[in-house]
Amino acid sequence: MQSAEEKFAQWTGFYQRAQAILRAGPRALKKLNGAEITRLIDDYQALTADLARARSLGAARETVDQLNRIAVAGHNLLYGQIRLRESAAAARGFANFAGAVRRHAWAVALSAVMFFGPAVASFVAVQIHPSLAYDLLADEFLDFDPASPDNLHSIPSLARPVVSSLIISNNIQVTLLAFGFGLTAGVGTTALLIFNGIHLGSVAGWMSLHGKDRALWGWIMPHGATELLAICLAGAAGYMLASAIIVPGRLRRATALKRVGGEALTIELGCMVMLVIAGVIEGFVSPSAIDYPARIGVLLASIALWALYFFGAGRDRGARPDEPPSD
Amino acid sequence: MDERVFISTPDHVTLEFELAGPGSRFSAYVIDFIFSVVLIVIVALALYASGAIVSLRSLLGAAKSGARSASWILALLVLIVFLINWGYYVLFEGLNKGSTPGKKRVGIRVIRQDGLPIGLPEAALRNLVRAADMLPPPSYILGGLVMHFDPQGRRLGDMVAGTCVIVEKFDLAAQGASGAAWASRVEQGRSREALTLPRGAISPQQIGLIERYLARRHQLSEERRAQLAWQITEPLLALLGQDHDGVARRADRGAYCEALLLQVIELTQTKTPSITIAEKTPPPASLF
Repeated sequence: MQSAEEKFAQWTGFYQRAQAILRAGPRALKKLNGAEITRLIDDYQALTADLARARSLGAARETVDQLNRIAVAGHNLLYGQIRLRESAAAARGFANFAGAVRRHAWAVALSAVMFFGPAVASFVAVQIHPSLAYDLLADEFLDFDPASPDNLHSIPSLARPVVSSLIISNNIQVTLLAFGFGLTAGVGTTALLIFNGIHLGSVAGWMSLHGKDRALWGWIMPHGATELLAICLAGAAGYMLASAIIVPGRLRRATALKRVGGEALTIELGCMVMLVIAGVIEGFVSPSAIDYPARIGVLLASIALWALYFFGAGRDRGARPDEPPSD
Repeated sequence: MDERVFISTPDHVTLEFELAGPGSRFSAYVIDFIFSVVLIVIVALALYASGAIVSLRSLLGAAKSGARSASWILALLVLIVFLINWGYYVLFEGLNKGSTPGKKRVGIRVIRQDGLPIGLPEAALRNLVRAADMLPPPSYILGGLVMHFDPQGRRLGDMVAGTCVIVEKFDLAAQGASGAAWASRVEQGRSREALTLPRGAISPQQIGLIERYLARRHQLSEERRAQLAWQITEPLLALLGQDHDGVARRADRGAYCEALLLQVIELTQTKTPSITIAEKTPPPASLF
């Protein structure tokens, strides 16, 4: 039997030790010896017993709060090891970007249709009715003239670092919006994809109409495959979130969202890496003086690399231990 | 939304958290917004200063190389501003157990729904989808509506990440030792016992009331503290053998009553009186 003073000393002692170990980081628990661990667990169990009694026997609100807060510290300490295991699993999940994309090919396909469909439609529409371009395009694109054979894109080499970083941050922002707007049941994601698709298609259509195909494609090709693929994947990540809201199955919507969230985040983070690569190419390679065949070479090489990555990477790992259990 | 959320742990302990309301979350947001703007200004000034040094050096050396590094510095600024815009919450919450400077100031924190502190993956998820909660930007109407109807007060980002925002304020010292006194009495099986004194008994409810008062007394104003002490002690004065009118007229009535209450609690814990209860006096002559 403990006196009140001993009991209070046990509570505060446990709370202070738990806080100190928590502050020292998740691995500090492993450095304790057996006796210290045993004492922590004994104190925690005594404390949680006190908490249970305090609730069921109707102790003062302050006492319940006090015990509860000490118990939270103890719980965070003793169960914090779950986090270590989980973060190892999360790291493996992030490494398996290609696997996540393969598992959600439907979302990628939907996203590609929503992006390239309007792009092709507006390209064709501008060919048939050139006046449409005046509605679809901003003024700076109407007299956009990047093209002379020797300098395909008019970014002076001095400005290239700035342009590259502007492109990277702008593109990543677009993918973050496409991803987050998935939470509007996909409406926002769809609107964003269609809007960007129309923009791309009508710029291309307008320039093609004015006989600047070579300049246009020469400019787009080096970074285009990487950049457009990344936009489609971000749309796919958005549609994954949307699917949890529209068809949660037997789960609650919030639970379904949480379940799909990890893989959607993996895809979104992968997109960001892709866009950094694309932005560097767009800022430095696309505006450089390399000739047309070399540009086709860069395009083919990037397509081949991404195809190899998305169809091949992480496939030979056998069973998929990080897949959430189906229940 | 409710005010509290309960989390059951695997060892059947129920942990209780007070949810942070929209008001405190919004004020934390405002503080963080100001803080991130200040961060951006500091970075811009630092880069501007380094740019000035670069251009000074370019006067001495080749002008072209100076302009080139100025361009790189500007590129760096663009990337850093972008990183602060989107990464502020991810990094602070992810590396600081769900707390940002604003949240810390307001006294709230993000936790996982299993009660553990959040890490980088949760922080990234709940903040990278922020654009949806902000709709129509920058009003946060969608996120606010979802928060209002969710029992755990989660915005959309919280649902994706499996997190909620709770009130963090806690001071072990301020809570005091009266809880431990109660708990040790329970352990000895005396929680439901009345305290029997020579002149009668103090009921368990009255003891509970005294304990609650003693636990909270430091947070009360002087006036209120004295007043409550008197109200609680007054019915017990006869039992404690005190002269009602004498105590009522004392200048230090509040402090005196509080001392009496402390003695009562001490009695319930030790059952070996360290104070001398006044001699039992003959009961007043009954009218009947």
